[in-house]
Amino acid sequence: MSIINRRTLLKTGGTFVAGACLPLTNIRLAFADQSQDFTFAYISDSHIQHIKGTKFVRNWDQGLKRAVAEANLMSPKPDFVMYGGDLAQLGTREELDHGFEIMSALKHKTHYVMGEHDYYADLGEYWSSQVGKQYYSFDHKGVHIIVLNSILTDDHWTHERWANGTERMGVMAGLDDPRGSPFMVGAAQRKWLANDLKGVSKDTPIIVFSHSPLQKLFKNWNFWTDDAELVQAILQPFDSVTVFYGHVHQIQYNQIGNITFHSVMATAWPWPYPESYAQAENHMPHLTVPINRADPFFERDATGWQYVDINSGKATVKFSLTENEPRTVGYDAKRGYPLDTKYVSRSKPPQNHY
Amino acid sequence: MKKIFSITAIVLFFSIQTGFAEPLGLPPVPIPADNPQSKAKIALGEKLFNDPRFSSTGDVSCATCHDAAKGFADGPLKTSEGIKGLTGTRNAPTILNAAFMKSQFWDGREPDLEGQSKGPFINPVEMGLENHDPILTLVRDDRAYWKMFRKVFGLKKKNALTMDHVAKAIASFERTIISGNSPFDHYYFTNNKAAMTPSAVRGFNVFLEQGRCVSCHTVSQTHALFTDSRFHNLNVNFNSISGGVQALAKRQQQEKADGVDLDVSILTDKAVAELGRFVVTGQWRDIGAFKTPTLRNVDLTAPYMHDGSIKTLEDVVDFYNNGGFVKAGDPVNSFQSGGIRPLGLNDTQKADLVAFLKMLTSPLN
Amino acid sequence: MRNIIQTLFLVTALGLGSTLTAQADEFTKEDLDIWQKEFMAVVAVGRTAFTDPNLGTNGVVCAQCHPNGANTHPETYPKFQKQIGRVITLPEMINWCIRNPLEGKPMALDDPKMVAMQAYITHERRNVKLAPGKH
Ligand code: HEC
Ligand code: HEC
Ligand code: HEC
Ligand SMILES: [Fe+2]
Ligand SMILES: [Fe+2]
Repeated sequence: MSIINRRTLLKTGGTFVAGACLPLTNIRLAFADQSQDFTFAYISDSHIQHIKGTKFVRNWDQGLKRAVAEANLMSPKPDFVMYGGDLAQLGTREELDHGFEIMSALKHKTHYVMGEHDYYADLGEYWSSQVGKQYYSFDHKGVHIIVLNSILTDDHWTHERWANGTERMGVMAGLDDPRGSPFMVGAAQRKWLANDLKGVSKDTPIIVFSHSPLQKLFKNWNFWTDDAELVQAILQPFDSVTVFYGHVHQIQYNQIGNITFHSVMATAWPWPYPESYAQAENHMPHLTVPINRADPFFERDATGWQYVDINSGKATVKFSLTENEPRTVGYDAKRGYPLDTKYVSRSKPPQNHY
Repeated sequence: MKKIFSITAIVLFFSIQTGFAEPLGLPPVPIPADNPQSKAKIALGEKLFNDPRFSSTGDVSCATCHDAAKGFADGPLKTSEGIKGLTGTRNAPTILNAAFMKSQFWDGREPDLEGQSKGPFINPVEMGLENHDPILTLVRDDRAYWKMFRKVFGLKKKNALTMDHVAKAIASFERTIISGNSPFDHYYFTNNKAAMTPSAVRGFNVFLEQGRCVSCHTVSQTHALFTDSRFHNLNVNFNSISGGVQALAKRQQQEKADGVDLDVSILTDKAVAELGRFVVTGQWRDIGAFKTPTLRNVDLTAPYMHDGSIKTLEDVVDFYNNGGFVKAGDPVNSFQSGGIRPLGLNDTQKADLVAFLKMLTSPLN
Repeated sequence: MRNIIQTLFLVTALGLGSTLTAQADEFTKEDLDIWQKEFMAVVAVGRTAFTDPNLGTNGVVCAQCHPNGANTHPETYPKFQKQIGRVITLPEMINWCIRNPLEGKPMALDDPKMVAMQAYITHERRNVKLAPGKH
């Protein structure tokens, strides 16, 4: 196994592709202060869907089971697993319970992010009773980690338009349903966030987990957070911020100021990239090199999960893709944005858009 | 001079192609630029393929396990028998149409026929030689062989004859072991509706639609190879290792890094053999994944799958219909291909599908 | 001169930006409206089918994977699809997705719902150039 020391790492721009590229052969980096590096696995968007009785959609079950099985094989062990939201499809107790049961096979400590599919049936009540807080922060090996519930929306939409939770969930579950409403973090959480960061020094690396992008990419499909610029403004003063989000069921990465953005794959199904919808404008990050079209026969095609190396605060994201070539997107220190070294010629520098 | 040589090679190639027209239902055989076909080379390859003197005991040839009379396989053996009756871990795939495969062996560890053909001689459970030297000694000293090699490859000195020449000749021969022209080909490509029984015609439809077979065992408008040359974990015998995958995978990758010959560890270590494509790529997505075999002549090559664990075509169809197991209650592993799921076929559909598979047998030339 | 400019104007307006010259005996606006309404009514039926959990047997709907009908690429049909091994038409691919992700029964090719789904898909893809056979 090759050992890459910190100096060569910096010289090569901070991105590197591990030899055989899997958790098993995850090459440990020999850092000056190794105790500050860590890995975690990131699984998201499983959309466990109840048919009836004890029957669930097999396709989505298999996606989550596979991610759990692979994450259990990670070596060295990840420090924790983050679940990125949308564990359920319609937020029912049956779906959430079934999802938690599959997740319980994980051998690692797990944290959860709230997705809209987990939330809108009962406004997160059952999920919270099983998981705990919807937004929180903690410190891990010198990194300040924040989890937000970014899929809230305005009170009127939430409380006054729908006969019941099932109807509300049904509307929000339709990605392209024009009756849906844009996501937001909301004033209360923004206030909490600003407060939470008060005691954190500017050079502390920060990682934020949200379900929606914390960027405004494509309103039609809610690849969007309505108060993204306000949240970004709170994070911008810090030297190094990385945001991980789910929801989009595809590979995206971006850089806005000091903030690096990475999406995570879904374990359930992939979504088309917004440019494939001919009738609406999008603001997709130019940086992102999209994944090729999926073959729906191979149910796991263009789905997967990620494991992330945090090297002194900067993320190297490795995609475990069951029917595709693995990919690695790491922070390129020289250029100042994330990059897939294999496809470097295909990406353009980032635009500055919220 | 070099130019003239390659032109003659091309001429010869075409004369062979016109000699036997491409069988119905197959695309042109891909011929690598550095190993053009010639009649003499093919004849040399055939001689090598059938010659048992290249084994440590003098009684095993390629043809022992790839027997023309058994569809170029070695049924009814589950796993092949080499020298001294030693058995390996894998079922011998047919050589028929191996020329079209994008990689060789169940796990694709050799990129081409040339590379593949060097392995069996020195595998301890196949032909059992220590190394390739005895082969070279034999083909250099044997007058008939030396004459053929000299002519085919334009060699001047005996020590210019290397294993590459042996491999090229065998590969050239294997590129002529191709088969189409089955009742299915007449039905589909010449529109002869009477060529298949009504049951098989219905079975073809199951193959394309509810059975979901065609996405891996490919058929196109102009030809049908019945393989995508890709790797899939169907859940064949994976459960035998699923308890200790992590340790096993780690051990195997370590052995590989330490230089242990893959051919040897795969064919002598049952657990390693079950890792499938993973041993080559080291990627979890390939764990327990094996190359899609062709289905041509499948009626002749029982038993089935990489380990020969399924005895009949009826059982194979049950295996797929259940979503990846024959015996009810057998677990499905988490790494199973997204292409496999329960199919909901009824008994008639299952019988029709088997009837169709039996229409893929080519006539003996 | 002014006349010419006016005529040019008219042509562009009628041809909706296309290069066709004006035709004699135009369809009336009333006719065009009616036909458009008829079409859009069928598009709406198609959208309903696209989000109907009872179209298949497992509750999965087309829109789950194809928001706004995206990535159905109607402009590329007929084309070779390896899932079927032939050059096929759009409704055959729709049936493939009904049978597979939705685990449902394929529809007759002239089923009004099938026609409506094609109307919806193509409507969401309007103004995209034909690209038969493209992947
Ligand atoms: C002892 C039996 C045995 C002998 C002898 C033997 N083979 Fe094989 N052959 C096998 C088995 C078993 C496999 C599958 C091994 C694997 O996939 O790991 C195989 C695989 C192959 C394949 C790959 C086919 C495919 O579709 O991937 C080719 C080609 C082949 N053998 C050619 C040869 C040649 C040429 C020789 C002689 C030099 C030979 N074999 C000798 C048993 C044998
Ligand atoms: C996901 C891809 C895939 C699908 C779908 C698929 N197969 Fe296979 N098939 C394979 C692979 C891979 C193997 C070898 C697996 C192994 O040995 O572990 C195989 C093996 C076989 C064999 C054994 C051949 C031999 O020589 O041992 C038969 C017969 C067969 N398949 C028939 C079918 C039929 C019939 C269907 C549809 C009901 C089908 N397959 C669907 C990939 C597939
Ligand atoms: C589990 C996700 C999923 C569901 C549900 C699904 N599809 Fe698909 N479908 C796909 C994927 C992935 C593709 C391939 C996309 C591509 O070609 O870019 C596809 C392809 C297609 C295509 C062909 C696109 C092309 O480029 O040739 C059509 C048409 C289609 N789907 C229609 C439907 C219809 C109608 C439904 C509902 C009956 C449906 N799909 C349900 C995933 C899905
Ligand atoms: Fe989602
Ligand atoms: Fe979501």
